[in-house]
Amino acid sequence: MRVLAIVPAFNEEQSLPSVVAGLRRSAPSVDVCVVDDGSTDGTARVASGLGVTLLSLPVNLGIGGAVQAGYQWARDHGYAVAVQVDGDGQHDAAFLPALVEAVTSGRAGLAVGSRFAGPRVAGAFRSTWARRAGIRYLSWMLRLRCGARVTDPTSGFRAAGREAIELFARGYPPDYPEPESIAVAARAGLTVTEVPVRMSQRLHGESSISAWRSFYYLVKVSLALVVLPTRTPSPEDSA
Amino acid sequence: MRNDLIPFELQAISIAVLAAFLVWVLRLVRTQRLSLRDSLVWVLTTLLATVVALFPGILVQVARLLGFQIPSNALFGAAVLYLAVNVLVNTVAGSQNAARLRRLAQECAALRAEVDLLRARSPGAAKADERGPRVP
Repeated sequence: MRVLAIVPAFNEEQSLPSVVAGLRRSAPSVDVCVVDDGSTDGTARVASGLGVTLLSLPVNLGIGGAVQAGYQWARDHGYAVAVQVDGDGQHDAAFLPALVEAVTSGRAGLAVGSRFAGPRVAGAFRSTWARRAGIRYLSWMLRLRCGARVTDPTSGFRAAGREAIELFARGYPPDYPEPESIAVAARAGLTVTEVPVRMSQRLHGESSISAWRSFYYLVKVSLALVVLPTRTPSPEDSA
Repeated sequence: MRNDLIPFELQAISIAVLAAFLVWVLRLVRTQRLSLRDSLVWVLTTLLATVVALFPGILVQVARLLGFQIPSNALFGAAVLYLAVNVLVNTVAGSQNAARLRRLAQECAALRAEVDLLRARSPGAAKADERGPRVP
């Protein structure tokens, strides 16, 4: 069973080595593919010294375009499972085997790592009150529009089976893609399951979602979830 | 040409501005900054506006036909609608270009990774290329 870890990284030269080391420690049999999303720092140089597959995007595409490049690599190289792990160190690789297992056991077509699914762990990062409210709204929208029951729809820590890999390689939402991609998977008839995970506060750099952008995030994703079921495939999706 | 709808000076200025606009569009095409295909809509609307400037009576007729009280309101309405359609068409083109650019960037990254793989498998080829490992 070949498993690929897709690590999107935008200006993450500081956290990347520990992220890759964590993956090697927790899941030594997993191939690692770092997607450098047009970083302006030494991300590509650091990654090429780590012995991973490096997908270097010539321009910054944003998280969606970067992750999609990873799924395309997974599709074209015959991986059975692809796991997305953020390059900023927020995701604890110790939970990767559990995510992969949810897919390989056939329980899920897409397994989403959730901060809220499991029992409350003291000291674990669960975000601010306002953000949790937004997350609850998004999960309500997802259940309403797509029937997917997901408590942590903004989580970028997820495992995709072969069907989801092919789906995401063909078309993946370009910006703020996490909730929308769950909707895409659910609409395609895949089973979306959650796996409890722990996340930590990011160590370096900035979250891609600053406070004032949260509003845009909610509006954009709401619109996406409303329009999505009626959407026809894009001509670029066929590639 | 002579009419009592608008003063002659205003008519002359309008026609001069439209002529200058047309010259600008044609220059952009000549210097290949605007494709011939994309220039057509600009050339045609400029010519149309010139005809209306030459014979303002047309505008009065059209306004009456559509039920506008004041002909200039018909003109403003048409202009706003025209511009809105134009901007939407351009936004669609922008979205399309973004999607194409995304595909190309991803393809580019995949090809570079494939080349890296091939280089790693055949050390001879790596030596022939003096640049060594890729640095952005």
